[in-house]
Amino acid sequence: MLPDFFEFRMPTRVVYGPGLTSDLQAELAQVPAVRYLAVSDATVVRLGLLDRVMGGMATAGCEVVGRFLDVPPNSELGVVEACAALAAACGAEAFVAVGGGSVIDTAKMAAVLLALGGDLVDDYSGSGTIDGPLRPLVAIPTTAGTGSEVTSVAVIYDADSHTKLAFSSPSLMPDLAVLDPDLTSSLPPGLTASTAMDALTHAVEAWVSPQASPITDALAAKAIDLILGCVERAVRAGDDLEARGGLLVASSLAGMAFSHAMVGCVHGMAHAAGGLYGVPHGVANAILLPYGLEYNLPETHVKLAALALVMQADTTGPATLPAAEAVIAAIRALTGRLHDLGALPLRLRDVGVPADGLPDIAAATVMDGTSFYNPREVVAEDILAQLERAF
Amino acid sequence: MGLFKSSEEFEEMLSGFFRLAGSRPEIARPLLDSRLIIRFTYSDPDVVIVVDCSGDSLDVRPGDTTTKATVNMTMKAEIAHRFWFGKVNLMQALTRRQMTAKGPVPKILQLLPAIKPLYAIYPEYLRENGYADYIVS
Repeated sequence: MLPDFFEFRMPTRVVYGPGLTSDLQAELAQVPAVRYLAVSDATVVRLGLLDRVMGGMATAGCEVVGRFLDVPPNSELGVVEACAALAAACGAEAFVAVGGGSVIDTAKMAAVLLALGGDLVDDYSGSGTIDGPLRPLVAIPTTAGTGSEVTSVAVIYDADSHTKLAFSSPSLMPDLAVLDPDLTSSLPPGLTASTAMDALTHAVEAWVSPQASPITDALAAKAIDLILGCVERAVRAGDDLEARGGLLVASSLAGMAFSHAMVGCVHGMAHAAGGLYGVPHGVANAILLPYGLEYNLPETHVKLAALALVMQADTTGPATLPAAEAVIAAIRALTGRLHDLGALPLRLRDVGVPADGLPDIAAATVMDGTSFYNPREVVAEDILAQLERAF
Repeated sequence: MGLFKSSEEFEEMLSGFFRLAGSRPEIARPLLDSRLIIRFTYSDPDVVIVVDCSGDSLDVRPGDTTTKATVNMTMKAEIAHRFWFGKVNLMQALTRRQMTAKGPVPKILQLLPAIKPLYAIYPEYLRENGYADYIVS
């Protein structure tokens, strides 16, 4: 069955290869810029990953005219503004973002401010509000989770309203995404697991989304397949470059899928838990994915059941509800195994969420932009019941 | 040349409809609870209407280009017209950029269930107020 309408747009050039970032000559030759602002964070710098990329840029004859290295784990509006101001001050023509989703999203929105000016909240929150072209952006992920290197979305924290603001526009898609699994090999087991579960959540929520299309289905299914085959290997042995590569590619595939099909209430709950109690996004998604899928089951069991084959879930018959439940059980089993490896918490109570905070998370979930794309109407009291189970 | 004869006619037609919506308590109540100030900017013909839900009752202000709105919705007049017949999929319209929404979009989306009864009221309103030619079958 085909949807009445779908659109797929993928302007980002994606290149993959272990060690690719040590020589970026061929890749950067096609980006119309020479003077770059490097955007990154303290961990990437400490691990020497930024230096590796800077060396690769030098081989391409590119000049890094400034470095913005203060991006926090959940970037904020003020951080984006400071980044854009530095880019303007040092005459940068383009951005190279080296890091996880927060770093790449910061560069995306700084590129908006540098090219178009204005105020992030007043002028660009919403849908269809950012008209390009922006300054070129090269995205080099050092985690395998957000897929931000290929998405049209940026998420930035607004400290005033304690919410994560989602900005969405095709103009936010980077010009170039460089996938180098060497850069992710130093990720510790916990981050490896939580970022992979973030990517898995992107893929599964895209799969059951009312906005799904045959193209996003294909991307999501391959992403799920790769994650299931690679995540435990990468958690056990960080230097397993094949597994690292699989997760990195899966993260991008899932990013392309959800950037078009969007995500639903699992992300809504995770955004709320992150905004209110600082729960890391990947961890929140890992904990909440089975509960969100159960919430949506009345509307999605037929589509979800089709994942049973991809997930090699233990199901005995063609009936869709048991098959869909087997998919959820398979996801629970995966998070359980990752928990046993010491890589994931399983309960909201273990990540700083107080019991009396659950109603606030439920209320914020309803107000999250993802509620619009959820297959089932997002109702606070029903979401609260799932949060209580996840507590 | 668009569907409508003039800016004046479209402005009068839609402002009247918004005022009618404000007179129905079951529709006005959730709108007023939202406290939103929404500016609709239409093209072909060019019309601006502010629907102010921040007070005790719905205030519909055609031509208000100065009030700072919480949400700015932009679309062609014809898309707006079809929307009130329930014939526009908002998700698709936003994706295809037939509509743009600046501001806290989720707050607008929350209002969709509340305004759903208006889809049936709109053709009645057109019929009873001399706009029967614009009824879409």
